Amino acid sequence: MAQITAVLQKFYNEYRSKTSKKLKVIDAYLFYILLTGIIQFVYCLLVGTFPFNSFLSGFISTVSCFVLAVCLRLQVNPENKMQFSGISPERGFADFIFAHVVLHLVVMNFIG
Amino acid sequence: MKLIILLCSFFAASLAQGPTLVLLDNQVIKETHSIFFKSLQDRGYTLTFKIADDASLVLSRYGEYLYKNLIIFAPSVEEFGGSLNVDAITQFVDDGGNVLVAGSSETGDVLRELASECGFEVDEEGAFVIDHHGFSVDDNGQHTKLVVSSDNLIDAPVIVGPKKGVAPLLYQGTGILTDVENPLVLPLLTADSTAYSFNPDQPIKEYPHAVGRDTVLIAGIQARNNARVVFSGSLSFFSDEFFTSSVERAQGGLSAKKSGNEDVSTAVTQWVFKEHGQLRVRSVKHHKEGEKDAPNDYTIMENVVYTIEIDILEKGQWKPFTATDVQLEFVRIDPFVRTTLKRKPAGQYEARFTIPDVYGVYQFKVDYDRVGYTRLFSTTQVSVRPLQHTQYERFITSAYPYYTGAFSMMIGVFIFSFVFLHLKEDEKKPKGD
Repeated sequence: MAQITAVLQKFYNEYRSKTSKKLKVIDAYLFYILLTGIIQFVYCLLVGTFPFNSFLSGFISTVSCFVLAVCLRLQVNPENKMQFSGISPERGFADFIFAHVVLHLVVMNFIG
Repeated sequence: MKLIILLCSFFAASLAQGPTLVLLDNQVIKETHSIFFKSLQDRGYTLTFKIADDASLVLSRYGEYLYKNLIIFAPSVEEFGGSLNVDAITQFVDDGGNVLVAGSSETGDVLRELASECGFEVDEEGAFVIDHHGFSVDDNGQHTKLVVSSDNLIDAPVIVGPKKGVAPLLYQGTGILTDVENPLVLPLLTADSTAYSFNPDQPIKEYPHAVGRDTVLIAGIQARNNARVVFSGSLSFFSDEFFTSSVERAQGGLSAKKSGNEDVSTAVTQWVFKEHGQLRVRSVKHHKEGEKDAPNDYTIMENVVYTIEIDILEKGQWKPFTATDVQLEFVRIDPFVRTTLKRKPAGQYEARFTIPDVYGVYQFKVDYDRVGYTRLFSTTQVSVRPLQHTQYERFITSAYPYYTGAFSMMIGVFIFSFVFLHLKEDEKKPKGD
């Protein structure tokens, strides 16, 4: 137990000191999306699937936002620079916004 | 002579009941069955009498049939004259012609062949239906002149008339076997359970072909094109002698002053020549509830009203048909709705139902198939489409959390972009320093 707390302690300290601010913002955003998705899912379990299309679009919207944010995080992370050598961070962010525009158009169409 | 025949057939065609060709073994039959022929003529039939092996026999000329009905009262004929043969007669039936055939214990090969084309089998030559319990008092000792109770008639008033109150029937002739696998064959009159079919002059060494109630005396068939054929194993069933004589069973109390043969043969000829039991669809209408005309297409879950008018031919006139068992099916490969049509006072049948929650191409189908009546089959195809994009329910209360979730994702990405972009500048500053 003590070891686990030690590990967590070390993990937290390293995260605080070594992770860049940009990535921390993305992480906070991811956490917010995760919460929204969980709330919607629990609500669906309680109320039932009646407006199923609404549930699907709401839930899938959170899932895809999460996926897109993770992708952005991968591209922005300086440690992955080798893999995205041809793509600038600005280009990565533009892709992120474009994907969001498409996603929210689809979600609004489907939500009913 | 030919001109007269042509003129005759021309005038006959204009009469209501249609021209009828009567084939006889000999001219004597015309006299011995005069009541039967008279009743047909009184009902408006134009009878053309011919000897069955007359060389000038023709059913059709230039692709048009000269007759609507055919009566073959020529049991012993071995081959028809002229262009008439079994193929021509089955073709005649296939084209909608009606045939009444009477055989006897001497039924010839050509009639046997014709019978087997219709799903009957006539017993061997020389065979009579014999009943040692149900023979008539004036039987000649061979017990072949039978008194058959009217209870043995088929349970279909449209074919044989009302069974109740019909005097017992006289019958002398051969037995008929029907093909049990043929669903179109109707045993109009069967023998009693004590009867069998065999040659009365020979000792019985093998099992008779037809025994008991399986021995059919008069068989009928309504083909799929609604053409009708009746095959009687007895020519004398229709004779003046049997029509007028009194009946009395030698054993058991069945007796009457006058036999029921005339009533039954009248009813049977009315059926076989399509005076009775003719149905048709006059009109089919369908529309949404509250509207008047048929729409281009229906939407799922809509209420629909279906109306059909069915006519029956009564004394030459089409009149509204009354029944309680007409059903409607709403079919998309399988029936999705099956409902009994309600008869309205005005005479049309109506059904109201809700279209199922499944879209596709459907048919309104009425398939009314009852013994003795022509098969009524009517389908109307309609398409059922899903809800249009504007027809869906909007702003459902229980869906508000999902709406909020989706919008919060949009706002989230908006705020996030601001924060993210501004942070970038913040980071650049320390790098620049």
